[in-house]
Amino acid sequence: MIRCFGRPYLLVALLALVQPAVPAATAVGELAPDFALPAATGGNVRLSEHRGEVVLLAFWSSRCSVCTAQLSLLGDLQTTYRSAGLVTLAVSVDDDMHRATRYAQAHPTRFPMLLDLRKGVSRAYGVERLPTTVLIDRRGRVRFLESDDRGIDNSYIAQVRELLDDPL
Amino acid sequence: MRTAIRTWQRLAPVALALCLVTQWVRAAEPPAKPAGAPAAVAAPATTAAPEAAPEASAAALTGDATGEGSTRALDEQIQDLKQQVVDLNKDLFVLEEELLFPANTQVAVFVSMDVGSFFGLDSVTLRVDNREVINYLYTPREVAALVKGGVQRLYVGNLKAGSHELVALFSGKGPNDRDYRRGASIKFEKGVGAKYLELKISDKTRRQQPEFEIKDWE
Repeated sequence: MIRCFGRPYLLVALLALVQPAVPAATAVGELAPDFALPAATGGNVRLSEHRGEVVLLAFWSSRCSVCTAQLSLLGDLQTTYRSAGLVTLAVSVDDDMHRATRYAQAHPTRFPMLLDLRKGVSRAYGVERLPTTVLIDRRGRVRFLESDDRGIDNSYIAQVRELLDDPL
Repeated sequence: MRTAIRTWQRLAPVALALCLVTQWVRAAEPPAKPAGAPAAVAAPATTAAPEAAPEASAAALTGDATGEGSTRALDEQIQDLKQQVVDLNKDLFVLEEELLFPANTQVAVFVSMDVGSFFGLDSVTLRVDNREVINYLYTPREVAALVKGGVQRLYVGNLKAGSHELVALFSGKGPNDRDYRRGASIKFEKGVGAKYLELKISDKTRRQQPEFEIKDWE
């Protein structure tokens, strides 16, 4: 048993030591990085509290017209699939917190609008373009990461349904 | 170092599982048949004599029982395997704690809340020797857990022996649902052993205000 373990452990330890210090952005299939962010309407939201549910993270900005159009579509999606276990969290990457808060208050949604003021969450998820949506399954793994403006079409809904049908 | 241990912790159960499965497969393999050994007895043909039928059904029953027994044994082995993985993970966690935060340099800060009628906790920022070490946001669930009597380990770190200062900034909603921000600080001596500090949030009924206190666990 000791001989069996010695070599893989040594190899793993050596590989881990040569890893770069800067964490890479999350890829599909990996565990979604946990975070806690303040909501525009008050209170805080932590991702790990939604383990067991399908989470849709939508990164947006009040300056991005495509994003704001997408948010209203996500609201419909949330209404349809909320009872099946879908949780939508919109994460604002606005630099101006007041602008994002004003937008969130002027356009009330059925899901929390979170403020990523330090940009730590958007960096962790490797957000380079807006809108970016991330689908996280019930086990907390990133299953789909979309970064385009195609909107909420049938293939997108199919992805959501696939995750909702997948039991824990 | 932390990354190395985390990676190790992630991969160790997989390595253990692979090793144990390999060993189990080796153990389950039938021994090599000698060259001169007779062939296995064939199953009774469908044209067997009628008196052979009860024997055949008995053999089938025995086979079922054996199959059930082996399934149960396999299930027990899987449970053992799972238990070993859990134990190994626990050992690795303890090892990580001991390596990253040795007892002679360890400082741990805990948060507790008593009642909480006059204060709705939103976040706590900790500064040790004027350096921000953590800024923790609380969700309603976490606050509810604290109000029920839970104690949270907010921070664990290392400090060398000597005098240090800890400053805790609490923010949230105070009486009459107004934004509330208060601070508390403590100067403490870090000795040879581990140091434990507790941030206590309680209600001061006489003043209708929350009270923030840092307790040094001697």
